[in-house]
Amino acid sequence: MKNQNHTMLAPVDGFDFEFQKKPLLSKIVSLKTVLNTLSILSIFVIWGALVNFGVYRFVLIPGPAEVAEWGMEWVRSSQFWIDTSLSTLRVLGGFVSAALVAIPLGLMIGWNKIFSDLTFPTLEILRPIPGIAYIPLAILFFPWEEASVAFICFVGAFFPILLNTITGVRLIDRDYFRAARCLGSRPRDIFWHIVVPGALPSISTGAALGMGIAWMAVVAGEMISGKWGLGYRIWEAYTLIRYPLIIDGMIAIGILGFGSSAIIRSITLRLIPWRKSITESLDESITK
Amino acid sequence: MAASEVINTGSQVWKKLKKMGVNWTTVRRIMSVVLFLLAWTILVQFTGHFHQIPKPMDVFAALFQLKPGVIFVEILRSLLRVLGGFFIGLAIGFPLGVAIGYSRIANYLFFPAVEVVRPIPPIAWIPLTVLFFINVESQIVFLTFYGAFFPIVYNTMGGISEVDIRLPRAAMSFGINRMGMLWKIILPAAMPQIFTGMKVAIGITWLMVVAAEMIASKGGLGYWVWYHHTVMEYPMVILGMGIIGLCGALCSLAIDAIGNHFMKWRNIF
Repeated sequence: MKNQNHTMLAPVDGFDFEFQKKPLLSKIVSLKTVLNTLSILSIFVIWGALVNFGVYRFVLIPGPAEVAEWGMEWVRSSQFWIDTSLSTLRVLGGFVSAALVAIPLGLMIGWNKIFSDLTFPTLEILRPIPGIAYIPLAILFFPWEEASVAFICFVGAFFPILLNTITGVRLIDRDYFRAARCLGSRPRDIFWHIVVPGALPSISTGAALGMGIAWMAVVAGEMISGKWGLGYRIWEAYTLIRYPLIIDGMIAIGILGFGSSAIIRSITLRLIPWRKSITESLDESITK
Repeated sequence: MAASEVINTGSQVWKKLKKMGVNWTTVRRIMSVVLFLLAWTILVQFTGHFHQIPKPMDVFAALFQLKPGVIFVEILRSLLRVLGGFFIGLAIGFPLGVAIGYSRIANYLFFPAVEVVRPIPPIAWIPLTVLFFINVESQIVFLTFYGAFFPIVYNTMGGISEVDIRLPRAAMSFGINRMGMLWKIILPAAMPQIFTGMKVAIGITWLMVVAAEMIASKGGLGYWVWYHHTVMEYPMVILGMGIIGLCGALCSLAIDAIGNHFMKWRNIF
């Protein structure tokens, strides 16, 4: 809560720091763009140089030009589109089912003390087990491979969404509940008009975070048990010595993961128009 | 309320329990775990689809078949890999996060590069890591390092940028220099979030170590779970999952304890 106050005050409060820099402002803006481009370019330059001069075992790693060439070819093939859509569907299946279970559960746990006592300790015991460790059980339990990979995604996305929903409900100002009760609200009204909207910003944080972990889980799931999908493709590229494809696959996964988190953020932003400043705090709390 | 009825009917047991510090909350919390185990048993017993999954009793029985020597070696192996990756990640990520958060130039210079690499999940690095490093240990440690790196950088950076602006201003009016500002004002104020980042990081390193060990098959808890999967000893698999979860939870608690030690000022207020 303190941080949010701070970001709200920032434009008024932080101005004297800006004031000192003002004469230099035009200079700094240009410096920023220059350094930013330099920063991104340097990745490719350093990577290319390491590969080119064959430092240590970088001889084995394909260079940027090779990766770009293979990438262009791969994007044109139908295989790329099948892999991409299959991985996306698995992530989506796991993520949507996790959200459908975790959000109502989290709202109830945050809202109702008795329900919280009855469920939360068990979830707290299960939480530290990483999603990847469920792979053997998922293979055993689901005869259908798609379901087992989606289940791994489900486990990965479930806990970030759940925990953020619970925190979201618990951070709601108690005065809102008291005010609503004074005005004669039924519990149902309190739930729909206070608990749900109050927890939404936090839920959106959890959803963006859960999406990232679901992408991580899908890659692991596909590497270990799968015939299609981006995770399987990069592992196959390794075993078939088609090394540039590994890096192309990594880039594809990175772009898809980043894109889906961005989509979630824009959707949830539309749901909470009263919290414009949430974009900044969301960006920071993605890694929390 | 059921509680008043029980007390009114004169059940002395409850009063005694209450004196021992037992109340409805603890009863419900224990009930939660008991109900979970009960539901698990019933599902396995009476549902055809679940019959392959071991019952809680089987898992409990498997606990006594464990050879303490063997399992401790596996735990130690995984723990060393986790801690190795975590500390390398801390040693590189923390200074980088401080630089990005504290210096404008460093922010312009390093932040875009970090931001471009970040969306690639650590698990996607497995094939490239296997290709690059010959030694299995260094492969696994690199993967755990990569998992720990980004949460530490981002939370250090975020913690520094969210420091209440009044604190540095007050320090400035007392005439503090730039290094003093960093060590005495900014870092202590950012410390809660830095420790949050470390907690997230240790969670991801445990995830990474399990994934890497499952693929590398060079010992460790991940491999232990995977091995018992291949020989169809499922109670051991669930036990292994439990041990991994326990180790992860203990590591996270240890970071909490260290954090509380360094942030004693939080308890004053």
